[in-house]
Amino acid sequence: MLQVIVKNKSPIRLNAEFDCANGELLALVGPSGSGKSSVLRAIAGLLKNTSLQGRISVGRRPEDIWFDSERRIRQPPQQRRVGLVFQSYALFPHLTAIENVALAAHPEKATAYFDQLFERMGLTGLQRRRPSQLSGGQQQRVALARALAREPQVLLLDEPFSAVDAPTRQTLYRELAALRQNVSIPMVLVTHDLHEARRLADRVVILDGGESLQVGPPAKVFASPRNARVAELVGIQNHFQGRFFSNTPADAPGFGRLEWHAEDSKNSRISLSVVDKNRLQDGAEVSWVVAGELIDLSLQNSPQAANTVACTLSEVLPLGEISLCTLVPLQLPSQRFMLNLSSAILRQLRAAPGALLYLHIPSEAVHIMPVRQA
Amino acid sequence: MDWQAARVSLTLAVCTAALLLPLGVGLARWLATTPWRGRPVIEALLMLPLLLPPTVIGFYLLITLGQGAPLGAWLASQLNLRLVFSFEGLLLSSVLVNLPFMVQPLQRAFAAIPGSLREAAWVCGLSPWRTFWKIELPLAWPGLVAGVALTMAHTLGEFGVVLMVGGNIGGETKTLSIAIYDRVQAFDMDAAHVMALALVLASLCALAFVFAADKVRPLQER
Repeated sequence: MLQVIVKNKSPIRLNAEFDCANGELLALVGPSGSGKSSVLRAIAGLLKNTSLQGRISVGRRPEDIWFDSERRIRQPPQQRRVGLVFQSYALFPHLTAIENVALAAHPEKATAYFDQLFERMGLTGLQRRRPSQLSGGQQQRVALARALAREPQVLLLDEPFSAVDAPTRQTLYRELAALRQNVSIPMVLVTHDLHEARRLADRVVILDGGESLQVGPPAKVFASPRNARVAELVGIQNHFQGRFFSNTPADAPGFGRLEWHAEDSKNSRISLSVVDKNRLQDGAEVSWVVAGELIDLSLQNSPQAANTVACTLSEVLPLGEISLCTLVPLQLPSQRFMLNLSSAILRQLRAAPGALLYLHIPSEAVHIMPVRQA
Repeated sequence: MDWQAARVSLTLAVCTAALLLPLGVGLARWLATTPWRGRPVIEALLMLPLLLPPTVIGFYLLITLGQGAPLGAWLASQLNLRLVFSFEGLLLSSVLVNLPFMVQPLQRAFAAIPGSLREAAWVCGLSPWRTFWKIELPLAWPGLVAGVALTMAHTLGEFGVVLMVGGNIGGETKTLSIAIYDRVQAFDMDAAHVMALALVLASLCALAFVFAADKVRPLQER
C-alpha cells in the first residue's frame, strides 16, 4: 500500500493526499501545471526541494518509509524501489534495449530473466536494438520493462501514452490491462486525458493547483463531482447555476427543489424536483450538473412526468453513431444542454435543427454542489 | 625541421590535454548542471583567455610566477619549483590558456544531455558516480574528443604566452612556433616552411577530428 501526503509552498504548491492499494491503478488527473508530475516526482524522490513536507511510505517496515519530513527521513531515489516510466521514456540512447533493462535490474539477474521479461512485454528479438531503432510503442514497452526489471514496490507512469499514435495507444491500453493481471503493486498513472483515466483507473485523484480536490472511482467522480471546480476539470458539459430549496410539505418526502436560473436573466427560471440529502442550506446558491446519459427525450409533452423541460434543438453535429446535440430551453434561452444522442434515435424522432423536444430529467440525474468559496 | 622543438611542442600538447581533461570534465559538468547564480562570472573568467592577447596573459603570469613575486618566491623556496622559463611553467600557462578550448565543447555536450536521462539512471538505482560513468560520459564523448583535439592543436600553435613565460630555451621551452619565428629571423625560410606546414597539418587533423566527432551524436540515437 502506497500512502502519500505531500505539502509544499514554493516553488510548486502541493497539497495532495491519497493512497493506492496493491494491484490498484490510481490516476492523477488534472490540467497542465496542476502538479500531477510533481507529485509523481516526489514519490520517486526526484523533487529537489528541501521544504517539502509530509510522508510517503510503501509499507510498515522502517525501510518502506521513503519520506517523512517530521522524522527527517528522505531516502534518495536510488534507495526507493520505484519503477518509473517517463513521459519521453528516457531510454539511454547509447545502450541497447537489453542493456537499458539490465541497468535497472539486480546485477545477479541472468540472461534468462531478461529473455522472459522481453517475451512478456512482446519484445522478443529486439534485445540488441538501440532505442532509435525501435518504434514509439516498442520504446514504451522497453521503458516499462526497465521499470519492472527493478522489481519495484510501486510503478509510476508519467503520461506514458501521450507520445504514441492512437492505434498504438489502444494496444498499449490493452497491454496495461493485461499487465495488471500479473503485477500486484500500487500503480500510479499521471494523465491529463480524462477518458484515459476513466478507462484504465480504479480510482482517480483530481488535482488542481497542486491540491487533491477529490479522490474516488472514476464513475463516481464524473457523476457526482464534489464541487464546481471538479465538475469543470472533469469536463462536465451540462453544468449550470441555481438556487436550492430544501424539502417543504409541498414536495414529495426526501425531495427538494432546484430553481434553475441564468446569470443574465434572473427573472425567468425553471423549477426542478431534486433529491434532498439534507446537506445544503435552504436557499443556498448552488451549481449543478446533470448526467446526460440519464436524460430522456420525447416529441410530446407528458405533463404527469416530473422535470420536463421544453427545448429547441438548435444544432446537430453528426459524429458517426452518435450526434452531439445542442438544446436550448425555451424559458432560459441563454442556457445550453449538450447531449450525445444516438444518431438512430434522432432519425426515429425525425428531429432536425429547429424541432421542439421535451427533456425529462430524472431527479437522481441531477447532482447539486455548493458553490466553492475561494 | 627542429626536432627538439617538435618534441617539446608535442610533449607540451599531450601533457596539457592530459592535465586539462579531468579538470575540464569536472568544470564543464558542474557548469552544465548547476543552477548557481554566480555561474556567469565563472563562465566569463573561463572565456577570458579567448579574448585577451596572449602577451597580456603571459605578462601577468610572468609577474605572478617570477621569483620577485610573493607566489613565485614561495613556490621556489618551499617547493623548489621554478615556473618561469621552465617546462613546468610553460605547462601551467598552457593549461590556463587552454581552459576555454577544453571546457566549452564539454560543457555543451553535458548540457545537451536531458535531465530525465540522469533521473532515469537514479531511479534505476545508479549512484551519481555510476550515472556519470555509464550514462553521462558516454553521451558526452564527442565533446570530449573535440575538447582534446582543440586543446592539442591550440597548444601546438601557441606563441605569445610561450615566449613570455617560457622564453626560448632549446629542449626545455622552445616550441615549434618559436622555432619558426627563430628561423624566419635567420632568413632560413625552407626550415620555417617545413615546420609551418607541419603545424598546418596538425591543426587540420585536429579540426577533422572535431567535425568527425560532431557527426557522431550518441544523443540523437533515439
